[in-house]
Amino acid sequence: MDGNVQNVIIKTNLLLKEYGMASKNKYWKGMDELQETQSFQASKSVEFPEQNNLESILADDELNEASTGRRDFLKFLGFSVAAATVAACEAPVIKAVPYVMKPENVIPGMPTWYASTYYDGSSYASILVKTREARPIFIKGNKDFGITNGSVTPQVIASVLGLYDSERLQSPLKSGKATKWSTLDKEVKSSLKTAKNVVLISNTVISPSVLSSIDSMAASIDGDFDHIQYDPISYSAIRRANELNYGKSMIASYDFSKAKTIVSVGADFLSTWLMPTEFASQYGETRNPDAAWMSKHFQFESVMSVTGSNADYRAMTKPSEEEAVLNYILSKLNGTSSPLTKALKTTADLAITALKSSGKESLVVCGSNNTGLQQLVNEINNKLDVNGTTIDLYNELNLFKSEDGKMLDLVDAMSKGKAPDVVLVYNSNPVYSLPNGLEFAKGLKAVKTTVSMNAHADETGVLCKYAAPVHHALESWMDFRPKTKHYALAQPMITPIHNTASVIESFLVWSGTTLRPGKSSTVAYDKVKETFSELSSGDFDLAVHNSCTDIAPSTIEETLVFNNAAISKTPGFNKGLEIVAYQKTAIRSGEFSNNPWLHELPDPITKATWDNYITMNPVEMSKAGYATTFDQENGLSMASITSNGIKYKLPVYPSPGQALGTVGVALGYGRGGNGEKIGKAAYQTKEYGGHVTDAKGNPKPIGENAFKLLTAVSRELSYANSAKITKVEGEYIIAATQIHHTVMGRHSIVRETTKGIYDAKGKESYNPAHTLQTLDADANHVEKPVGEFDLWDAHPVENIGHRWGMTIDLSSCIGCSNCLVACQSENNVPVVGKDEVRRGREMHWLRIDRYFASDQEAAVGTRKDKDTFSYSEAEIAALNPKVVHMPMMCQHCNHAPCETVCPVAATTHSNEGLNQMTYNRCIGTRYCANNCPYKVRRFNWFNYPAYKKFTEINPAQDDLGRMVLNPDVTVRTRGVMEKCSFCVQRIQSTKLEAKKDGVPVADGKFATACSDVCPTNAIVVGDWNDIESKVRKSSEDKRSYQALEEVGVKPNVWYKVKVRNEENDLLAKLQVEKKAHH
Amino acid sequence: MKITNIQKVTELGRGLKALVLISFLALAPSYFSQGEGLFKAKCATCHAVFKNGTGPKLYEARQRWDDAGEGDLIYEWVRNNGALRASGKSQRANEIFQEYKGSVMSIFADLTDDQITSIFDWVDAQDPNAQAAGAGVQASAANGVEMEEDKGLPWLWIILGVMFIIIIMAVGGVRRQLKIATKESEEGQEGLTYVEEFKTWAWKYRLYVGLVSLVVVLSLLVGFFQTLYGVNLMEEYQPSQPIAFPHDVHAGVNGIDCKYCHNSVTKSKSAGLPTVNVCMNCHKKINGEGKEYQGEINKIYAAAGWDPTKGPSGEYTNEISPIVWNKVHNLPDHVYFNHSQHVVVGGLDCKQCHGDMAKLKETAKVQPRAALNKIQENIDSKIEFDRATLTMGWCIQCHEQSGISITDGKNNYYTEIHDRLKKNDYDLLNAYNEDGRVSVKELGGWECSKCHY
Repeated sequence: MDGNVQNVIIKTNLLLKEYGMASKNKYWKGMDELQETQSFQASKSVEFPEQNNLESILADDELNEASTGRRDFLKFLGFSVAAATVAACEAPVIKAVPYVMKPENVIPGMPTWYASTYYDGSSYASILVKTREARPIFIKGNKDFGITNGSVTPQVIASVLGLYDSERLQSPLKSGKATKWSTLDKEVKSSLKTAKNVVLISNTVISPSVLSSIDSMAASIDGDFDHIQYDPISYSAIRRANELNYGKSMIASYDFSKAKTIVSVGADFLSTWLMPTEFASQYGETRNPDAAWMSKHFQFESVMSVTGSNADYRAMTKPSEEEAVLNYILSKLNGTSSPLTKALKTTADLAITALKSSGKESLVVCGSNNTGLQQLVNEINNKLDVNGTTIDLYNELNLFKSEDGKMLDLVDAMSKGKAPDVVLVYNSNPVYSLPNGLEFAKGLKAVKTTVSMNAHADETGVLCKYAAPVHHALESWMDFRPKTKHYALAQPMITPIHNTASVIESFLVWSGTTLRPGKSSTVAYDKVKETFSELSSGDFDLAVHNSCTDIAPSTIEETLVFNNAAISKTPGFNKGLEIVAYQKTAIRSGEFSNNPWLHELPDPITKATWDNYITMNPVEMSKAGYATTFDQENGLSMASITSNGIKYKLPVYPSPGQALGTVGVALGYGRGGNGEKIGKAAYQTKEYGGHVTDAKGNPKPIGENAFKLLTAVSRELSYANSAKITKVEGEYIIAATQIHHTVMGRHSIVRETTKGIYDAKGKESYNPAHTLQTLDADANHVEKPVGEFDLWDAHPVENIGHRWGMTIDLSSCIGCSNCLVACQSENNVPVVGKDEVRRGREMHWLRIDRYFASDQEAAVGTRKDKDTFSYSEAEIAALNPKVVHMPMMCQHCNHAPCETVCPVAATTHSNEGLNQMTYNRCIGTRYCANNCPYKVRRFNWFNYPAYKKFTEINPAQDDLGRMVLNPDVTVRTRGVMEKCSFCVQRIQSTKLEAKKDGVPVADGKFATACSDVCPTNAIVVGDWNDIESKVRKSSEDKRSYQALEEVGVKPNVWYKVKVRNEENDLLAKLQVEKKAHH
Repeated sequence: MKITNIQKVTELGRGLKALVLISFLALAPSYFSQGEGLFKAKCATCHAVFKNGTGPKLYEARQRWDDAGEGDLIYEWVRNNGALRASGKSQRANEIFQEYKGSVMSIFADLTDDQITSIFDWVDAQDPNAQAAGAGVQASAANGVEMEEDKGLPWLWIILGVMFIIIIMAVGGVRRQLKIATKESEEGQEGLTYVEEFKTWAWKYRLYVGLVSLVVVLSLLVGFFQTLYGVNLMEEYQPSQPIAFPHDVHAGVNGIDCKYCHNSVTKSKSAGLPTVNVCMNCHKKINGEGKEYQGEINKIYAAAGWDPTKGPSGEYTNEISPIVWNKVHNLPDHVYFNHSQHVVVGGLDCKQCHGDMAKLKETAKVQPRAALNKIQENIDSKIEFDRATLTMGWCIQCHEQSGISITDGKNNYYTEIHDRLKKNDYDLLNAYNEDGRVSVKELGGWECSKCHY
């Protein structure tokens, strides 16, 4: 169903809902459905109405017997065309329902933006939310306010889909059955009254208002009360190390933008470690080769992470070697020595040289959750004297206060029969994420009263007697204190869709200090306002408008001095294989395993979607006999992996750069396997729709739960372990969007150089223009740039009107994949599921190509030796390859090959340089896609918003889920081509705003969805004809080139050469200045 | 479909009439039109000329103040009625306030005495009898429009075709009988069947038969496609509505500006249906004369949750239910249309696309192109539609025919576009200007992604 109609229907539904017309929580598309008429019941499972169905007419036996089948066929064809024509004559009656009382700030058809804050227990970001007719449809970072500098993560962008998740709990439950809040409150209150001990388990709470309402509740309880903050991904070791070294249990603020040398030992700080929303943009600032300095980044890690793929130097390091690396660096800085393997020494020595030269403008971080290792990091950072430059000890991070020990003690106590009387669970799922979650689950059964405040009936939630579901983050008032000196607010964008409650309200109600006023409740608002007035003397409305405010710390800061402390016990590993449980960029620790956008987001490194697998270095894989290549028909070998007494069978994925002797398994998968309802998209789907089910009839989850493979080391949750792996029978097909690893030395796609070459040599050496030979006036052979040769007349876009252009800086692009999710959200890109992705039919308008360097290349795209270059070997990625991330979307060629082959002129060129795609003209020949050198066109093979194959995964098939669709963008139907439109809806609205104001389009007013959410500002868009615009200047930079320039299609997208801050003698030899280049 | 000559003549006649009317208006004193403009902008939402509404009728209001001996105070009343009431100077001020049950008139402090005089001059110059007569003329005009739709055309062809075939058959039959008769007499042979004879005949004249069949097939194809072009046209589409809303009363008789109710038309892509609270601004007081009207207005009360019988002058019950209208102007989903673009940037008047709603007695409908071609603004801008309303042909025809002034310096957006053209491609600018104007089409108004994305 398409945008505008949908819009009206949605509007109707929302309004009816708002005004209490629809008594049940049900959405209907027409009167038929509302009244559930017989004909509707019969027709709802059929995609096409039966009338005029040619097949049924032809299937008639009598007709088969007829001698003149062909002529009858034509007759019936004629009849059905006529019938279709007649049927189309009847205009549908479309309803339009205006408000009764229009809210002042809502203009139908115009977006309203709200500033708010996102926090889900692990990601934190200041955000802007776009709402249309009071329904949130798009989230991006807030560049003007807050501590995250406009950065977001794919989870933040995709979280808007969670609002419309129809599997979210819709009302309070008692023993799995819907109940009233009044009943639940009465019973919970009475059990709290009589309880001897009450335990609240939550993830880290950074809301002062929630903490204060928990305090109120605690005060009202006569028995013991304990609040355990427990995060699935724990950083407790950093806090403990700081307690030992600085006397205070805290996590400091890091500033990567001031670090000239960055050494990370297993910390994926650009994507998953601590605050990637803060670090990514800081890191981006240091990656500009034209700035005064460019950071040098060393990464020691086992699983290739997004951060590792961006490192200037990356060393494959086993978890057991992390300690040695840190010890070696520390000892070298102290002038002593410590043992280290030869392979690691080379990189470590370079890192030490760099650290010594940058001194206090350095930063060393470590991803391990082990106090001993974190103490070593503290010692190194202290030795380098970075406190005050890259580390701010006095602006603590309030996130990640996980108390692993306390949580593990509780499980122990429970399994010994010392269960508390009441257990409350808020935003926490220990049954799933604790290594011994099953013990916790057993213990939970002995607890008299259990209350889950989780939004879903998840693994922990279903075991609880009561469910008191909380609002979605976009429905409620909330406040946050992410750092000592910062206070932020979240405001609701929409009236709560379901009968849920604010967590603040629930705690206050159970403490007996307030009543439940129902939907129009202001309890949370009042509480947040009260907290604000206690913390700040500023204007509350202004703080809501900005979503945050800086606050002065209430207490006088004590001076923190570094003390040497004995290094705590470091993790021990058995000899043999080590397993690293890592967080994927998209799925993280599993809170989002029901989000189809994130499942379909190709992993930035492996490019696999919808799956969990064991990553292993292909070199080791071939030795052990695993298949190292795969495609849509041929799967990967299976292996059985054993760790912590748990055995899983998973496919083995070839991941170049994976440290030898280690394997990686992603966390966050294997959720909801026991019939819990965590969301339709969290399960495996069959080829023609429906879930794959197990023997009990429960849908089978995707992948396995890697948390169970882990253990705790000295009461700290560790994310690496010893393991055993054996190859087992079987093959498993993986759906990856890119199954080739390298760019095969093609210089015209990816260009890379080093900082040294870039500084010393001219453009011709690292970014030579493509030239062709021609004859000049005197019949001499001369070389001229490709741009001067043309088959066609120039398209009149230059210097007249607008010409929309884009530049993408490969130096700044970190492959975070925000752009991809934002594009999906903005442009109603359908989710197609694993089986379709496997067939190469993913619909993403924007893809990020990840290219590994092969041993045949000096850098990605540069052949080491032209004479001995071997294509077959160039196909194989190096053992520990360098990586380039390259966002690729429609290049809007001025001489577009797709336009010339379209038989119906469905794709045409605009005077503003856009390659326009007109869906209603397209007849689906797919000539254009075949003729596109960039392979960015996508074909609608199915009616994704209706066909049963996509029911489980496509939110557009859900009456509630489709509210997330952008009403300004058509929902494409089956049989048409689609592709990146440069967010033409945004171009048109930017132009319209300028025209209405009577001013020229100012540079920066227009942003595509991808450029809007880029944390490192790698994507610059604008009007190229505006000679002062950023994009014009950027496109004329000496690093700018166009992909496949030699084919002469004249794109409106420029890429900028990737500059790596490394020494590469081979590349320096190759990239010499020369006059011309073929 | 083309307009026939007879229709052109009638149209010419009507055009002449309009011309006379315009010249009359042009001769009228300028403050007359100022008064009209001010009345529509400031007064019309609450006051009618001849009928009491939210506020009293304005016709001869000056006279009534004069009669009360407070003729001078009416200016103060208009500018700030609250202050006048508070001052206690005026008896009549308090009387009116009481009469209208305390509904407070807005403050118009910026109106000068001259402006107020011009409003009353214009109001008093209206002819109470002309109103009814004018409506009659409009009704007949509306009927005329419907008659112009030559819906019978394909039927005419079909009837002609059938008659033609009958004649051929008849002649052929007679001829055959004659032939059989002659042949029988000559050879005594059994006569050929119709089919066999037709085959022989067709073979004999194969050239002519072939040519004629070609023409027939081609005409049928053309006819078929022309019929397809006529399918699903929205012209004259007039769905039933839950409330019989008369546009002529609101926009015509009461002169309420379209933008008062469709108030997002200057801001958003959607012109916006009036929300019920907007209706209640006036209808709190106006509950209609006669059962029929009252019945309709009661539907608004039901929607707004207003009980006029409660309290001294009605009360809200908070039991609201939105009005479910049937959408009249339906664009296909793959079309993006923005009202504010056309109204604010393009400077179009609502009637140029929607027809003169001030004269439409029935519920809203899609006005046919013929009606739009009679709108003065369209005639002035030399826009003449020959494609059905709300079709793509209709849209792009206007984009081709209407010009954008990019040199007048009023809109710096276009000044910038003009500068770039001037600086970088003067020839192109000249080509644009060849017909004396830069059309919307020339600045990209015909490009697909202007409207389709």
